[in-house]
Amino acid sequence: MVGETLRNLLMIAWLLPLAGFAVEIFGGFWGTRQSKLAAWLAVGCIGAGFLCSASALVIWGQSNGWAALHRGGHGDHGAAGHDSHEHDSHGGAEGHQDPHSSPPATEHGASEVNSAAATHLLTVAPAVSAAAGMLIQEPVAADASAGEAVSGQTVFSGTIYSLATFGDLQLSIDYYIDSLTLVMFTMVTLIATCIHLFAMGYMSDELTEEYVDHHAHLSNGHHVHRPGRFYRFFAFLSLFCFAMLGLVLAGNIFQVFIFWELVGICSFLLIGFYTERKTASNAANKAFIMNRVGDFGFLIGLMVLWTFFGTFQFGSTYAADGSVAQAGLFEMVHRDSHGKLLTDAATGDVIITDASGNAQLKADGQARTIPYYLLVVAGLGVFAGCIGKSAQFPLQTWLPDAMEGPTPVSALVHSATMVAAGVYLVGRFYPMFVQEVLLTIAYVGCITLFMAATIAVVATDIKKVLAYSTISQLGYMMLGLGVFGWGAGLFHLITHAFFKSLMFLCSGSVIHGCHHEQEMPKMGGLLKKMPITGLTMLVGVIAISGLAIPGTPIAFSGFHSKDAVVASALGFVKANPGHFLLFFVPLLTAGITAFYMFRLWFFTFIGKPRDRHVYDHCHESPAIMTVPLLVLSVFAAFCAVGGEEGVLYKLITGDQPAHIAEGIAGGLSASGITLPNAHSIHAPSESGGLSIHAQAGAWALLAAFAGALIAYVLYGTELVNLHEVKQQLSGAHSFLMNKWHFDELYDGLFMRPSHVIGKCCAWIDRTIFDGILHGAAQATVVVSKWDRLFDENVVDGFVNLLARATYSVGDSFKTIQTGRLRQYVMFIVVGVVALFAVLFSTFPR
Amino acid sequence: MLADNNINSYLLVGAVLFVCGVICMATKRNGIGVLMGVELVLNGANVNFVAFSKFTRLGLDGQVFSLFVIVLAAAEAAVALAIALNFYNNHLTIDVDRASKLRG
Amino acid sequence: MTPEFLLTAIIFLPAVGALLLSLFDGRNTDVLRFWSLGVTILTFGLTLQMLMQFDSSVGGMQMQVAMDWIPAWNVSYRLGVDGISMPLVLLTSFISMLSMVASWSIKKHVKGYMVLFLLLESGMLGVFLSLDFFLFYVFWEVMLLPMYFLIGVWGGPRKEYAAIKFFLYTLAGGVLMLIAMLMFYFNSGATTDSFNLIELAKVASGAESTLASTLSPSLQITAFILLFIGFAIKLPVFPVHTWLPDAHVEAPTPISMILAGVLLKMGGYGIIRIAFPLCPYGAQYGAWAMVAIGVISIIYGAFAALAQTDFKRLVAYSSVSHMGYVLLGLAVWKINETTGATENRNFWLMGINGAMFQMIAHGISSAGMFFMVGVIYDRVHHRDLNQFGGLMGRMPLYGGLSAGLFFAGLGLPGLCGFIGEVFVVISSWSFSPLLAIIAASGVILTAGYILWAMQRVYLGAEYKGPHSEDITPINGRETAVAATLLAFAIFFGIFPNYLFRMMSVSTTELVQSLENGYQKAATSAAQMQAMK
Repeated sequence: MVGETLRNLLMIAWLLPLAGFAVEIFGGFWGTRQSKLAAWLAVGCIGAGFLCSASALVIWGQSNGWAALHRGGHGDHGAAGHDSHEHDSHGGAEGHQDPHSSPPATEHGASEVNSAAATHLLTVAPAVSAAAGMLIQEPVAADASAGEAVSGQTVFSGTIYSLATFGDLQLSIDYYIDSLTLVMFTMVTLIATCIHLFAMGYMSDELTEEYVDHHAHLSNGHHVHRPGRFYRFFAFLSLFCFAMLGLVLAGNIFQVFIFWELVGICSFLLIGFYTERKTASNAANKAFIMNRVGDFGFLIGLMVLWTFFGTFQFGSTYAADGSVAQAGLFEMVHRDSHGKLLTDAATGDVIITDASGNAQLKADGQARTIPYYLLVVAGLGVFAGCIGKSAQFPLQTWLPDAMEGPTPVSALVHSATMVAAGVYLVGRFYPMFVQEVLLTIAYVGCITLFMAATIAVVATDIKKVLAYSTISQLGYMMLGLGVFGWGAGLFHLITHAFFKSLMFLCSGSVIHGCHHEQEMPKMGGLLKKMPITGLTMLVGVIAISGLAIPGTPIAFSGFHSKDAVVASALGFVKANPGHFLLFFVPLLTAGITAFYMFRLWFFTFIGKPRDRHVYDHCHESPAIMTVPLLVLSVFAAFCAVGGEEGVLYKLITGDQPAHIAEGIAGGLSASGITLPNAHSIHAPSESGGLSIHAQAGAWALLAAFAGALIAYVLYGTELVNLHEVKQQLSGAHSFLMNKWHFDELYDGLFMRPSHVIGKCCAWIDRTIFDGILHGAAQATVVVSKWDRLFDENVVDGFVNLLARATYSVGDSFKTIQTGRLRQYVMFIVVGVVALFAVLFSTFPR
Repeated sequence: MLADNNINSYLLVGAVLFVCGVICMATKRNGIGVLMGVELVLNGANVNFVAFSKFTRLGLDGQVFSLFVIVLAAAEAAVALAIALNFYNNHLTIDVDRASKLRG
Repeated sequence: MTPEFLLTAIIFLPAVGALLLSLFDGRNTDVLRFWSLGVTILTFGLTLQMLMQFDSSVGGMQMQVAMDWIPAWNVSYRLGVDGISMPLVLLTSFISMLSMVASWSIKKHVKGYMVLFLLLESGMLGVFLSLDFFLFYVFWEVMLLPMYFLIGVWGGPRKEYAAIKFFLYTLAGGVLMLIAMLMFYFNSGATTDSFNLIELAKVASGAESTLASTLSPSLQITAFILLFIGFAIKLPVFPVHTWLPDAHVEAPTPISMILAGVLLKMGGYGIIRIAFPLCPYGAQYGAWAMVAIGVISIIYGAFAALAQTDFKRLVAYSSVSHMGYVLLGLAVWKINETTGATENRNFWLMGINGAMFQMIAHGISSAGMFFMVGVIYDRVHHRDLNQFGGLMGRMPLYGGLSAGLFFAGLGLPGLCGFIGEVFVVISSWSFSPLLAIIAASGVILTAGYILWAMQRVYLGAEYKGPHSEDITPINGRETAVAATLLAFAIFFGIFPNYLFRMMSVSTTELVQSLENGYQKAATSAAQMQAMK
């Protein structure tokens, strides 16, 4: 029952925006341009979606007694959570025991039993499977399938409808609901609702039949006049919400890919919302095509998974009788309690297991395996998709350009949700990533976060600064995930979504108030004019910088989550000293982050107004825009209260993949990477000093304070001449202003060559293939010309010659045909006489 | 030789008649004259037929043939005279040299 | 309705309609148009009736019709339908109907146009329904002639060149097919069933058949190459594709729709209906080459599309690229070199199904794209991509519908193009990872050329080309065509299983019989080797 209720609620939340889109786009097209109806409809749809998601979260929590919250410690070993393998495989008795009696005190103990049972089974299972050569049906599997028999069940998966079936292969639209899904749903719908409301104010100048676009020019120098597109904006937002929620709800990786592309196209539509502007359509194309580059990798990952696993589903599917019909991907890659993959002793290939952890057998009795390197390829492929979507190095260049879209779009799509989809997918697909892939993820995140932060330091467009900070923060999330801080990375995803959407909306409010002025050098001192915007922005700035008051629990959300990420990184570096950069770069960047964020704030809100005109016309935004700011600032400040002991973190990690709690010992994989478990990070060090977590937190806080202080000195006071600083560092400055020259690089490396190759192909077609064809045609014509000459001269000539000869003979005979009768008689006489003479002379008697 | 009642005398008469006829045809410009030449030729041939009928083992065949020739000559004379009349009507003459329309 | 009546009616109704149409007064163009439209609608209705009678749980041929036609040469009038031809027949009558609606823009010699159009439809339906090789060949050629005139009379500036190019290319393919046909005829004993495609396929697969023998393995390879070239020209794939851009560019809009929507499918259909089942050994022999050709077509077509400045040419090259997926999907037949057994059969099955789906999807999306190009061409009379712009503002509904159809061509999920492309690509890894990766890179290029084209045509501040004053909003008739196509694109994109269910039993049987056929031929080839 719970599973069905959750499914239905989330499906309503998911499909309502789609219905809203259909109504808005058609209703708006045939309706009037001044109506706000589309906006209210969109808000209604997403708001209802939020209510559904929130109630789903509550129902889910009630059904399992909020087991996630009652977990002890930091999710250290044997956390009760998901690991559906564990769920399906441990003995019936223990399985029933732990959810029913789940008071906080006993929970920990019960989990201990769980993991013990799982470990036990591991040792037994291969033997059984070898002997019996068939799948083991565990009793618990049956009630897991029904979805409600075990009240403590936290993961629900199933199929909505089938896309296609080929023999044993099945592709379908599925759902997969666990704590992460629910948290994401609630977060996305909540933020989206706020942004929809904000956008109603922000986009209100589109409510007209005659909108003047000051950024688009006609060839005669005039501005573009067009009907307002208020309805279209909200329709696209609704479509985007549909796609994003579908992505989160997806129960298989193929479905993720489907919605992955759909959010991509929504992003395309929204970035290019001002279709008249060349820059906007260029940015939209760039965003979509760069995403497609990532999707190319994604597709390769899908191909590998499909070829070797034969399914895309995350969780198991069940037959009507409750038995496992098809094991899910997450069950097919089995890890023992040390995080080691089950491998074939002879070849080293990874053995593919069924839902119970036994090797799946092929028809010839051999175990199904996948070469280890292909598992790496699959992981890297899927991660390539995430690189594109989350704007990580080296595909980061599209995100700053995407700021061409209206600011609410930047807030919703390009900071809070869609770009976070890449991070979400890494988190979701975590069980399939092997160490090498995780290390790649960590380094990619590390490079990204540093590079983007440096560019943000010199950016002057208020939205561009935020865009680069988004890239940088996404890098933090990736880093967190890559260094085995699964919870930390996703924690940062959620908190970042709140404070970044807040900051974007604040910048939107500034832009709106300053009549579409985005350059910070023209602002300054705006705090007096727009106090609510300025103060809520400050909340966001403090949150992202990770400032806190040491020794007290007073800290905004960003502190907690960044702290968690940095702590994971430090734990990782302690275990693998060779990768020390993974700790020091983010630490340095934490300082840079604080610097550029405070720079932004001081630049905009403090100091003397630098442009009188802008300042004079500036005004605070209406309530419909400021209320969402206030709501979001509350969440940005307090959503992570309690840090890793808090509600949010525990909810997120409620169903974390099992092997995270255990860590992965080094030396088991080819790369020899040790992945520490969460426990070791939080435990006090052997020497009795601070725990890794506390050390990292202290360093990060120090860096943040240093950055903020420098920003204050440079921009808050007038002690330093900024112009001189810029002159001194002009080389570095221009390098950063040019965004590390990535655009030029890609232009030279990919864009131009592909156009050249395209031209070559067209040329080959035109010149070579058609040339051959035309040559053949010409040759045929030439041959036929010769043929004609032969016919005309030789064949016809012979016949004509004959005719001419006959004619001339006749012609010459005609002269004796005089028509004179008497002459004829003479001829006859002479002829007869001659005849006789001849006869007589020839034949003598 | 002439007194001998043999075939040569008859053949001689036939030949003379024939040659006369031919000469008549070749020399006369008058259409009627030509016609008469034709008659002479035909009759020369008739004499020969009759003579061969008498002096060889042909029997009555020669005589029958000559009867045919006579009948044919009559018919031919009728047609030829009709042609001559028509020719005269058209050209106001029966000079055969004027009838050169069949020239090649 | 009895199959005899139904199938015959479907094929010949348009021809009869054309015959009656020739008695009409040529000056009253509206009557001619509505009559022709009525005929195509009625034909579509009949194919729907066929769909009602169709049982998708049966793998073999249904509603078979068999009558003597030319007994002296053992040629029969044999028709039938299965899960492979059913969707294509529906597509044909559907696209014909919509192109007829699009034909309102034809103003010259309306009567002749309509007559030829209906004859063309007869020919196309005949190809998809005939089960006799000779009959198939006849329809194949019958369809050619109306097409030649439709391009050559009603086409653009270089129509004669394009028409002749099209005609010669296809005819060359037809001749190769004829040779192969005679090879089969005489090698199977020249008996009653020697033109019977079903029996020929049966004997090739080693099943019980009225025929005694088929081609030897080595002859199978020859026959397959002949057939393949014949069908590849029609498909078309690299390097025999150059007729397509010219034919498409010069043909009038409705004919472009038919060309892209239906005619190209005949190539794919020929491969799956004739070339594969009749020479399974040859098919397996050529599998790698076919996959490679398919992949080259995908990439090459996409690159060539990127370089075009003519809007219609761009869409035409996108067809080359998309049809590459069809060939790729059909050919991913991997065998174990030692045992000769098929490996990963389900992936191949997926590839074949994906290829079939791609044919239908391409029929919808590319017909839509050509129609959209035609709509704007009718207004401004040029197709230079660099001289458009701003159409989204000038014609918002047109812009929106075009965006939908072009996204379908781009392979956006939720629209039909995605399913076919992605299914084919992900099924191909098990055949060859390298080729699969190259094929997958096509998604980037496709996005590149389609988005770039859309940007130049629909986006931007203003229209840059001539005849700006003639740009009027899309009218009801045009909206109806585009919206119908878009609706189907969305429907098949979201519920592909409707199509897959129709085909899967037949394709599964096909795969099984091909496997058997290969095994049989491989065994005999091995014996021959041993005897030497």
